[in-house]
Amino acid sequence: MFTDFLQLTVAGLSQGSVYALLAVGLIAVYTVRHVINIAQGEFAMLAGLGSAWLTASGMPLFLAILVAILTVTLVAIAMERLIIARVKKLTPLTSIILTLGVSTLLQAIMLLVWGPEAKGVPLFPGTNILIGGVSIRSQEFWMIGALVVVGGGIVLFYEKSRWGKALRACAEQPVAARIVGISPVAASVLAFAIAGFVGAVAGVVASPIYLSLWSGGVLLGLKGFVAAVLGGFVSFRAAIVGALLLGMIEAYVAGYVGSGLRDGAAFLILILVLVVRPQGLVLKPTAVRV
Amino acid sequence: MKKSRLRFIAPIAVITALALSGCSNSNLGGTADADPAAEAGPIKIGAVLDVTGVGASLGVPEQNTLTMLAKQLNADGGIGGRDVELTIIDNQSTEDGAAKATSKLIESDKVDLIIGASRTGPSLAMRPIAEAAKIPMISVAANVAIVKDSEWVFKTAQNDVVVLERILDDAEAKGYTKLALVRDATGFGEGVADYITELGAERDITLVMTESFEPSATDFTPQMTNVRGSDADAVIIWGINPSAGLAQKAYVQLSVNKPVYHSHGISNQAFFDAAGDAANGVVAPMGRLLVADQLAADNPQRTVIEQFKADYNEAYGEQPSGFAGHAFDAWHIAVNAIEAAGTDPAALRDELETAQWTGISGVFKMTAKNHSGLDASALILAEAEDGRWNLLKD
Repeated sequence: MFTDFLQLTVAGLSQGSVYALLAVGLIAVYTVRHVINIAQGEFAMLAGLGSAWLTASGMPLFLAILVAILTVTLVAIAMERLIIARVKKLTPLTSIILTLGVSTLLQAIMLLVWGPEAKGVPLFPGTNILIGGVSIRSQEFWMIGALVVVGGGIVLFYEKSRWGKALRACAEQPVAARIVGISPVAASVLAFAIAGFVGAVAGVVASPIYLSLWSGGVLLGLKGFVAAVLGGFVSFRAAIVGALLLGMIEAYVAGYVGSGLRDGAAFLILILVLVVRPQGLVLKPTAVRV
Repeated sequence: MKKSRLRFIAPIAVITALALSGCSNSNLGGTADADPAAEAGPIKIGAVLDVTGVGASLGVPEQNTLTMLAKQLNADGGIGGRDVELTIIDNQSTEDGAAKATSKLIESDKVDLIIGASRTGPSLAMRPIAEAAKIPMISVAANVAIVKDSEWVFKTAQNDVVVLERILDDAEAKGYTKLALVRDATGFGEGVADYITELGAERDITLVMTESFEPSATDFTPQMTNVRGSDADAVIIWGINPSAGLAQKAYVQLSVNKPVYHSHGISNQAFFDAAGDAANGVVAPMGRLLVADQLAADNPQRTVIEQFKADYNEAYGEQPSGFAGHAFDAWHIAVNAIEAAGTDPAALRDELETAQWTGISGVFKMTAKNHSGLDASALILAEAEDGRWNLLKD
């Protein structure tokens, strides 16, 4: 009984790590640019499909992953420069429609290039372990590890490094930041690059177990969105915690209630949060962002 | 013209044009009148397949097969000198996509016969439309509900009941008394639990647990954890790829350690792609296509299968799957019937009910009561090993 619970918890944590990385990407973009990036899930799928294709063509695994992540980061920057930056008056609604268009475009490209069947990257090196009846797959370690390293790295970047603080300044006080000399263009590009990078890492690390599909980004992006809402769309830490919780709740619902209700759980949580506590898991609801 | 006059004429003209175009589409006679010009024109066959979406691993080879066969047939002179026009529509693996495609094929393309869909859910959505329009339909999906008590619908994939018979016979022989089922949540998995209970009653086998999963699911930890904790002797995983392959992977990774059977829904390469090494040891009933080289030399299906494999490989550079075989059989059964009876729907349907065809999915003997034409002898039991299937029991 208890081993089942632990088993589900492990599955939930690894799935939640993927959601957390996507949420980080969503928040990174939103705080700097007030753009809700609907194409975040597509970054993950693009990286996954790209690296699957590269490894199938013979490239060594880690090189393929690196190339895929770099390419998707560039795609994100291109998206910012060519589409987002050109819009003079960017309201959140306009941004949703724009990024929705980009999402549809990316999906169509992925379908045309890689076809309708799901593809997976080969498993990363490592062995599965069995502790007390609970089986933990090696890839799950990689997924949780990716969250710790990349997600943690982004949080540290925002809090400790100069550029991170510059980004936070842009988010909190855009006009003052410009006066001080922080380029809004550079900040915007950096924010999207982070979103692309983090989304790509999530897609690549989840691909061996969960496979990448041209249409998979929609649901994944929505789950990331729910996690970001749990972070009040401002706090990385709260979003990460929220994402892990979301993953675990989904696993429990699927295991104990019924597997068909799994996705419903995410959206139920979304509705509850928006109605009851819009600031999500953030402890101190302040007007200051990030 | 004066502006005020124009204001009246323009809308009236538009409405008249719309009304006329609407009238020309509908069949005011109510029955399909034999149009003398149609007897000489091309024969129209429509196909509704799951080319994108969760059924893609089934729909793409089926599309390839039908396209290849239509080309071959027309190069050989068509049917009685008439060309065959094949129209394939992608239903995106959705039920309403299939329904819309069927209506379009019947009403605007005016097809003589429809093949499809690749999966049970969309096929069931197509069935009432074909029956109301009285156009023969040949499905390539599994659930026997597609043809049960049907006048106009036939199928070439082996019935799920027959597949379960093979599995339960093997389970009985091995002494298993309790089974757990992990099934696809769509129409394909519908009713499987009931069939197992029914067939199991005659074999002293009970079904102790049923779990389900969406065909688009990628995480199976909850289902496999529950199965692991149950007291079943063996497990049946009933789904199509990639979900069945991923389920198998999760099954092994979570150390469930019970013998496992799969359905005939996994008879393609995508199973090995999704499951990897976890596929080893899986036992599943399927048609003879994937073990063609292990069949006895005098097996009646061997020639047909090897010819098809060679043709498909030449056209597309890869080996066909069992699903491509279902489409192959549907096409040939349809073409043979049209050759014998022409395109009048009722005559065509009557001819289909007497169809006999040695094909890829089995040796077909259709009857008025049995629109599937296959029994348990159409299936063999195969075991997966290192990316290929080994014939276990013929």
